[in-house]
Amino acid sequence: MLDVWQQLILLLEGVPLTLSISILSFLVGIAVGFPLAFIRVYEKETSFLVDAYEKIFRGIPEIVLMLLFFFGLGPYFTFPFNSAFFVAVFVLGLRSGANQSQIYRGAIYGVGNEQMIAGMSVGFSKWRSIWYIMVPQVFTFSTPGLGSEYALLIKDSAYVYVIFLAEVMTRAVQIRTSPPYDAVTPFVLAALIYIALTFPIALWLDKWGTKRKKKIGL
Amino acid sequence: MFDFLLNPVYATWIVEGLLLTIEITLFGVMLGLGLGTLLAIGDIYGPKPIKAAIAVYVEFFRGSPLFVQLFLAVYTVPAILNIQIDHSVMAFLIFGLNSAGYQKGYVKGAMETILGDQMQAGLSTGMSKLQTLRYVILPQAYRIVIPAWTNEFCSLTKSTAVVSYAGLDDLIASGISIKGITYQIIPVWLVIGVIYLIWITSFSKLMDVIYEKKKIPGLELLMQ
Amino acid sequence: MADFVMEAKHVYKTYGKSGKKASTSIDIKTKVEAVKDVSLQIRKGDIKLIFGPSGSGKSTFLRCLAMLDIPDKGEIYLGDECLTKPGVDLNKARARIGFVFQNIYLFRHLTALGNVELALRQVLKLPKEEARKRALDALKEVKVTDCVSKYPAQLSGGQAQRVGIARALSRNPDIILLDEPTSALDPELTGEVIDTLRDLANEGTTMLIVSHEMPFAREVAEEMIFYDEGTIIETGPPSQFFNAPNTDRARKFMTRIINRTTREY
Repeated sequence: MLDVWQQLILLLEGVPLTLSISILSFLVGIAVGFPLAFIRVYEKETSFLVDAYEKIFRGIPEIVLMLLFFFGLGPYFTFPFNSAFFVAVFVLGLRSGANQSQIYRGAIYGVGNEQMIAGMSVGFSKWRSIWYIMVPQVFTFSTPGLGSEYALLIKDSAYVYVIFLAEVMTRAVQIRTSPPYDAVTPFVLAALIYIALTFPIALWLDKWGTKRKKKIGL
Repeated sequence: MFDFLLNPVYATWIVEGLLLTIEITLFGVMLGLGLGTLLAIGDIYGPKPIKAAIAVYVEFFRGSPLFVQLFLAVYTVPAILNIQIDHSVMAFLIFGLNSAGYQKGYVKGAMETILGDQMQAGLSTGMSKLQTLRYVILPQAYRIVIPAWTNEFCSLTKSTAVVSYAGLDDLIASGISIKGITYQIIPVWLVIGVIYLIWITSFSKLMDVIYEKKKIPGLELLMQ
Repeated sequence: MADFVMEAKHVYKTYGKSGKKASTSIDIKTKVEAVKDVSLQIRKGDIKLIFGPSGSGKSTFLRCLAMLDIPDKGEIYLGDECLTKPGVDLNKARARIGFVFQNIYLFRHLTALGNVELALRQVLKLPKEEARKRALDALKEVKVTDCVSKYPAQLSGGQAQRVGIARALSRNPDIILLDEPTSALDPELTGEVIDTLRDLANEGTTMLIVSHEMPFAREVAEEMIFYDEGTIIETGPPSQFFNAPNTDRARKFMTRIINRTTREY
């Protein structure tokens, strides 16, 4: 018999896992998405590869990928695909990379080509212009999109239930499927925990959005 | 390896699963669009209590995972009401409610780009606020919203994968059944994944074509 | 039967404006008294023109007449009906008034024809064929029949504004109110709009125009109204203003304007 507080503690013990999955996936997303965005914009010959990558990871459900890698490859390559944690970060990270590639691409267009031209006019080569002039600006422009992408990762970490990783969602289901089969409290608490995790981001996004709009004179 | 595809029984499961997936998605985005529009209008014109209620609704559906919302709908709500509800009904419903939470934002954003002057113009011809919303504002808003809506459709399709864990027989469930019998784990999931991929990519392409056809010169300029 | 097509009695309208002073970042709340005790009567067939310095509140007053902005105090009459009384069906009233906006505000998602037809069908509830016929007639009157199937984004400023006038005309309103119809247009395009307004005036349409097109004012307006800082300073026929205004303020304003416009001749 678990009361509300005991359930809450059980669920909260899953939060570190939720956070580590989402943070690591986000970082993988940056590492993959950031360079890909620039390649997509500035290297026309290889851009179709980036397109293909984006299409694949935005067109196949994360659950399918997780099932494929964990239950499919896991048995053969004992490491690393037998680690549910690795598979989770791998799948969500690559998915985030696809999303972030789009976000940074939008930001690159938002910064504008004139900046590149200005860079080259002072003697920078294409890639040095990109590094010294575009990269710093692109980060500022993409912050709102990144904020919602991170919130998305926190929510999508719930998918790891299908590969048995014991974060918040999985624990909630465990509580329901063990006596006394309480179907109400665990899920309500789980929802509240996730909302608590994503709410600060939503607030910050709103604030940041209005501040930036004022700055650029909207 | 891939010969399970040739088996008519398995092929049927796949087709039926895909159909259910498509049904849930279509129902979800349509309900989402209708309810989302109402929420957007309520947020723009409603009194404070309504705006607060809408804010709570949106925060709940956008702040928690769809997975949790599904289980809340399928297990928690019937438990609270102490009745048996068909899992399908709740699943369809929760996808619509979830999508509305997101679409409210897209519709409201589109409406706000248009409102000001177009509302004035509508009123000046003697139409009421409601008439202006219906004949002037919303027609323009729905055109602006199409890219975001297409995105919502694709993302919702991917999310339907969770319903298999609530007992529904969607495409994932078909995959689980087939792999359970044939033990061809990798081929099965590859095929399932590719089916989703083809469906989502074709639908996006289709929406792009429709968008081009329905485009009205002067309206796309607003989509910054 | 009322004597006047429209009448404004002691109308007041104030805007609260808040802004930041650039240098000190202090929030300033300035109240702009756009309309201060303004009364005006318009008879059938009148062609009156309101002019004055920018920001004086002329547009606000015009919008109050159409009840697009609600006056703080005072009464607005459309014929016998008092529009400022609570419970009045403003939509029905606005259907009897034609309004032309400075920034045109055509319905972007409809063709020129669609723009004119919409109110005919939804407000006057006319059947499809009759609405279409009346819309085409209105568009013919403003001479934009070649643009009938085009969308607003495909029209030039002058064409768009003429469609706007057709949209206001098509309901056969009691009066047409025009808020700086040419101010947003490129100079070469104002001519076509002014020609249209001149035609309308010659046909006896009741019009109240806010504008600073002085040549047009001199030629077409029967009465000119000088409006500054929320009130009517002086009224009279164009000859009065162009030769010898009564008030100092009017005189100063006319000198500035005429110097500007004569340079264009």
